Amino acid sequence: MNNESYHKLKTRLFWMIAILAVWELTAQSGVFPTAIFPSLLIIARALGDSVVSGEIIIQTGFSLALILQGLLISLLAAIMISSLAISNKMVDGLVDTLVAIAHPLPGIALLPLIIIWFGTDTLSILVIIVHSVIWPLILNMMTGFRSIPTIYKEVGLNLGLNRFRIIKDILIPASLPYVLSGLRIGWARAWRALISAEMIFGAVGAKGGLGWYIFKQRVFMDTPGLFAGLFVIVLIGIIVEDFFFAVIEERTIKKWGMS
Amino acid sequence: MKSKILLPILAITLLSLTLVGCNTSSKVQENKLQIKIAEQYGLAYAPLQIMKEKQLLESKLPGIEVSWRQLGNTTAIREAMLAGELDVGFMAIPPFLIGWDKGMEWKIACGLSTSPIGLVVNKESIQSIADFTPEDRIALPQPGSIQHILLAMAADKLWGDPKRLDNQLVTLDHPDGMNALLAGSEISAHFTTPPYLFMELEEPGIHQILDGKEVMGEDFTFAVGVTTEKFYEKQPAVYEAFLEALAEAIKFMEGNPTETVNILAKAYQMDEAELANYLERSDTTYGLEVQGVMEFADFMQKYGLIKGQPANLKEVIWDGK
Repeated sequence: MNNESYHKLKTRLFWMIAILAVWELTAQSGVFPTAIFPSLLIIARALGDSVVSGEIIIQTGFSLALILQGLLISLLAAIMISSLAISNKMVDGLVDTLVAIAHPLPGIALLPLIIIWFGTDTLSILVIIVHSVIWPLILNMMTGFRSIPTIYKEVGLNLGLNRFRIIKDILIPASLPYVLSGLRIGWARAWRALISAEMIFGAVGAKGGLGWYIFKQRVFMDTPGLFAGLFVIVLIGIIVEDFFFAVIEERTIKKWGMS
Repeated sequence: MKSKILLPILAITLLSLTLVGCNTSSKVQENKLQIKIAEQYGLAYAPLQIMKEKQLLESKLPGIEVSWRQLGNTTAIREAMLAGELDVGFMAIPPFLIGWDKGMEWKIACGLSTSPIGLVVNKESIQSIADFTPEDRIALPQPGSIQHILLAMAADKLWGDPKRLDNQLVTLDHPDGMNALLAGSEISAHFTTPPYLFMELEEPGIHQILDGKEVMGEDFTFAVGVTTEKFYEKQPAVYEAFLEALAEAIKFMEGNPTETVNILAKAYQMDEAELANYLERSDTTYGLEVQGVMEFADFMQKYGLIKGQPANLKEVIWDGK
């Protein structure tokens, strides 16, 4: 770890502790009833209980598995669609129009339609995730593809590469910074869409994901449990942002000297 | 170095101040007469519409400021009452008991209505809950709702296992549940109340397999009026006037059916003839008495949804015996 990221981690930790301290002080001051503002200890105990019972782990695993599937499907579809669009003007126009229509639509706004079309199964949640991810991803990929100097492609053609290898070996690596930032946006949107969809649908059966877990705590008025669920959401967000994407960037575009 | 520390401290102080600010904003002048009431959508809440339109409470206590809110579900009402944003909320008995069990300082002030609650299905092959296959999904408003409790009661009666159908539940609010049932997706059953219940039963291929009263074995109050302890103790005059106005509204509905339909059709944006038909058809009855609290509490404790149980009605009903 280099000096810069160490410093970043240090300030991050400092602020986290500061925020937790403010939280605890407010809770202890008794200004708010515990049912509204529980202390950290009570929240930690609720979190511990649901970890021990396994419920929060199962629900988190369920949510993560869903979002991973959604991201993978979106990534593959976006690569395919963008590649088609870059090589054909008509397709390009179609994709451009589709993005313009679908990108501003929040997945949750489509929920009533999705229930009628796809039911209330996990398939519907998957549809919402893919919808949230795919448009920003395509948008970023197209920008990435377009920003590649034509000379790269020409060199590839000179070397006798076919269309598939030009996409795989030149277009995708060269546009990776854009793809990665597209994935980052996509991840953030998908994670939010997933949690909201799970909260509204409820779950089919016992497995409903983290959003369902939070909704259930809300319905049964278990405020500490609610905070435990929120804590897990934040934790996963930080892990993915600060570690997962950071590591990928470190290993690829930073190593290749692209940023 | 010093200024480096000072700035964060300043930031924290500001942050704390905003948090404190959240609390003071809800404190309005205490001495002015006012009441904040929350209702939900449905025929079961009709007397409240009459009370609102005819300004019955205002004529009892001139100068009182009455604010009405229509919230989509019980949980939202409960949270608003917890935050001190509401004085009176109308809901079913089970969600009230969950809050009571969690230590909320509130009790039931009055009953409001009994209402048909029905489980309807869109498959000919299902004639009772015993015919549900593991693939069938049952839509209802939320876990812990009166629909969920009644379904668990029915499952308990049939199999001795209240949780038998719990893994087949899907949480959908009434309109979404109706859409899903009529769309013929994997939702094959919907536990709901009028007007949704009637609208669904009018569609071909939809029939009812379970009735709330049949499950309970007796009448029970569907919607009760709940007030916070703070309101009950600090505003006794408003509390009394509110109950009197509500009784008056119910009396008005009995005495003036035409004008009632008139007011309700406008409030619910429904056709007058259709509404009159619904009112006539349904065995929705209105009255201030409360029935079924102990029955629900018994069952919910057995099921594990609440830990404690009221020893007597006094613990859950203001002025209860």
